[in-house]
Amino acid sequence: MATSPSEIPSLRKDGVGERPFHRLLVANRGEIAVRIIRACRDLGIEAVAVYSDADVDALHVRLADDAVRLGPPPPSESYLRIDAIVEAARSTGAEAIHPGYGFLAERAAFARAVERAGIVFVGPPSATIDALGDKLHARRLARDAGVDIVPGTLEPVAVERPDQVSTIVAEAEAIGYPVLVKAAAGGGGRGMRRVARAADLPAALVAGSREADAAFGDGRVYLEREIAPARHVEVQLLGDADGRVVAVGERDCSLQRRHQKLVEEAPAPGLDRDARRRLHDMAVRIGRAAGLRNAATAEFLLDPDGAFHFLEVNTRLQVEHGVTELVAGIDIVTEQIRIAAGQPLSVELLRAAEQAVEPMGHAIEVRLTAEDPARGFTPTPGRVTRWRLPSGPGVRVDTGLEEGDRIAPEYDNLIAKLIVHGPTRDAALARLRRALDEIEVGGVQTTVPFHRFVAADPSFRAGRLSTAWVDERWDGAADYQRAARLAQLAAGVVARRDGSTTGAAVTRAVTRAGPGPSTAAAGDGGWLRAGREAAVDRWPR
Amino acid sequence: MSAAPGDPLDPGDPGLAATDPAAIRVTVTAAAGRPEVPALVIDGRATDVTVTGPDERGRAVVTAGGGSGGEGAGEPGGERRAVLFLDPSPRPGGSADGIIRREVVVGGWRVEVEIEGNRRAALRERATRAREAVAHGGPTEVRAIIPGRVLSVSVVAGDDVVAGQQILAIEAMKMQNELRAPRDGRITRVAVAADQTIEVGDLLVVIE
Repeated sequence: MATSPSEIPSLRKDGVGERPFHRLLVANRGEIAVRIIRACRDLGIEAVAVYSDADVDALHVRLADDAVRLGPPPPSESYLRIDAIVEAARSTGAEAIHPGYGFLAERAAFARAVERAGIVFVGPPSATIDALGDKLHARRLARDAGVDIVPGTLEPVAVERPDQVSTIVAEAEAIGYPVLVKAAAGGGGRGMRRVARAADLPAALVAGSREADAAFGDGRVYLEREIAPARHVEVQLLGDADGRVVAVGERDCSLQRRHQKLVEEAPAPGLDRDARRRLHDMAVRIGRAAGLRNAATAEFLLDPDGAFHFLEVNTRLQVEHGVTELVAGIDIVTEQIRIAAGQPLSVELLRAAEQAVEPMGHAIEVRLTAEDPARGFTPTPGRVTRWRLPSGPGVRVDTGLEEGDRIAPEYDNLIAKLIVHGPTRDAALARLRRALDEIEVGGVQTTVPFHRFVAADPSFRAGRLSTAWVDERWDGAADYQRAARLAQLAAGVVARRDGSTTGAAVTRAVTRAGPGPSTAAAGDGGWLRAGREAAVDRWPR
Repeated sequence: MSAAPGDPLDPGDPGLAATDPAAIRVTVTAAAGRPEVPALVIDGRATDVTVTGPDERGRAVVTAGGGSGGEGAGEPGGERRAVLFLDPSPRPGGSADGIIRREVVVGGWRVEVEIEGNRRAALRERATRAREAVAHGGPTEVRAIIPGRVLSVSVVAGDDVVAGQQILAIEAMKMQNELRAPRDGRITRVAVAADQTIEVGDLLVVIE
């Protein structure tokens, strides 16, 4: 039924069927670098990897046809070095650069440097990244396109101007508390603060602005009303050089912890055909207004009354693009590469866009991260001593990690994406439970227990989703306690049976990640949890 | 916290004499009247936990809580879980202390378990109690539990702090973590400075 690209007659000189590029450089690491290298292979393109000293032996380096060292592990000395990456592309003869997500993916300066070097940037043009990366500009653009936006300011707030404090407080009052302080340069949740009362606003603005400045070199912040409870729903957009912009489906990314997405699914449960069409239309309108080319995602909040409020546009490949690929039967990364080479949107993609309001099947992605879900999702860098991943019908795993690898503290702690697909949401959930049961991971604590809970939880199964779901439903400490008890029993029984202890055996579950007895005496790491309450938020990617 | 009598997963056994509430005692005794049949006693109660394995790759199956007797172990109705036994990652301080350490993974939870003989454990518990009695009201050493870089230090030696007050900001895994005082007290030592790179276990501050 599906026509393979090679059978489609070429409509133009640079049309479908030709290899878009001979060589492409992947300016990223981890699972997304592996994902892009695989797309290159599928298209017959040679892939060039880049790496830091922490990633010399990483999977993405090994899979690539060529690899260039960027520098020491800190991102600022490796994966964020625009000059080094452009030079790596030049020296290896790469005609295009795919930035993945994170790092330089949404830095217009990077796209510009790539364009100026005569290399193709696989993503929207630098001008579009600039325009949409400025969240304030995006808000104004959406409003002008007739799309409802989250209530808030349209201009940056004057931070560190004591004389302006009363004006700012009045503005916040008009928007309505609680408000969120957000960075105009956006991304990763950095610079974001929730403020419940006027007294906390000035400090939050200063802290948010400082953090935004440190993260993006741009301290501008703005205010937005917090919509709660809300669902986070986003639309996958693709546009080509002919000015065609289509929506190929939406994703529900409501399960978040401190604005970090944990679970994503497509389609969004409970939307009827009309709501879906309305949502996709709004997203396409924003994409057209922005002159979108290549891939982007329009993010919305869905309030309890069924109204969508535009949040922002991400001008890059999303972490969770895989769920849309499975439901729509498309390959977003190869599509991106073809578009970058000047080819029009593929026939498969246009067909998927036509069917997007009546999706077939359901896909769910869980993000396996090196975080402790019993301790407020504290990062748990370390060496992975056991790593067995699931497979079988309807199961896709995207990872860049291998057994024996060290999860470096310098980078994002996403270690694998488990994506399941089935004819219905219930079928997908059953596959998720099955796949999670097959995972074996040791050496570092991961979010596997949390995802097992989600997959078995009746309210998740019923589709009762909200961005507050995790805090309301998940009691990680209690779940851990029960597992620890069983682990102790098992260890004690085995020790007695093997005769490794004489007489009775005593087993204890020791404090994880604890460096020694003195910290345990200081309250079992409670200080860090307290710190996390006020810790930096990470906005969904 | 109510569980069926004899449920080995119920941590709330009032008869538990161990001073360390997190410890579990596992004893093998002879079944009543049948000295050739070993019976498993956990925290003073006869129970029926069976462990099949672990095999060469550390895979085991644990069945627990199916009944309350030493016989009929592993019957249906109990909790049956796949368990992974792994060698633990090396810890600071070495392991030549007679304690066996295992990393046991249950349902994705990574539990570091220490196993030692009953008698040795009793001695250790006594020593720990004595140490805690001293430590109570004594200085608290706040140490790093994640590696990273110190962004800023908000206190100096001599400052009085209250529980929850910010002490340091640390950048780890792209995030800024604000570390707060675990208790009220006075800062007697600040062991780190801004921009310093820290490793797990490094002393950060001392509160007295």
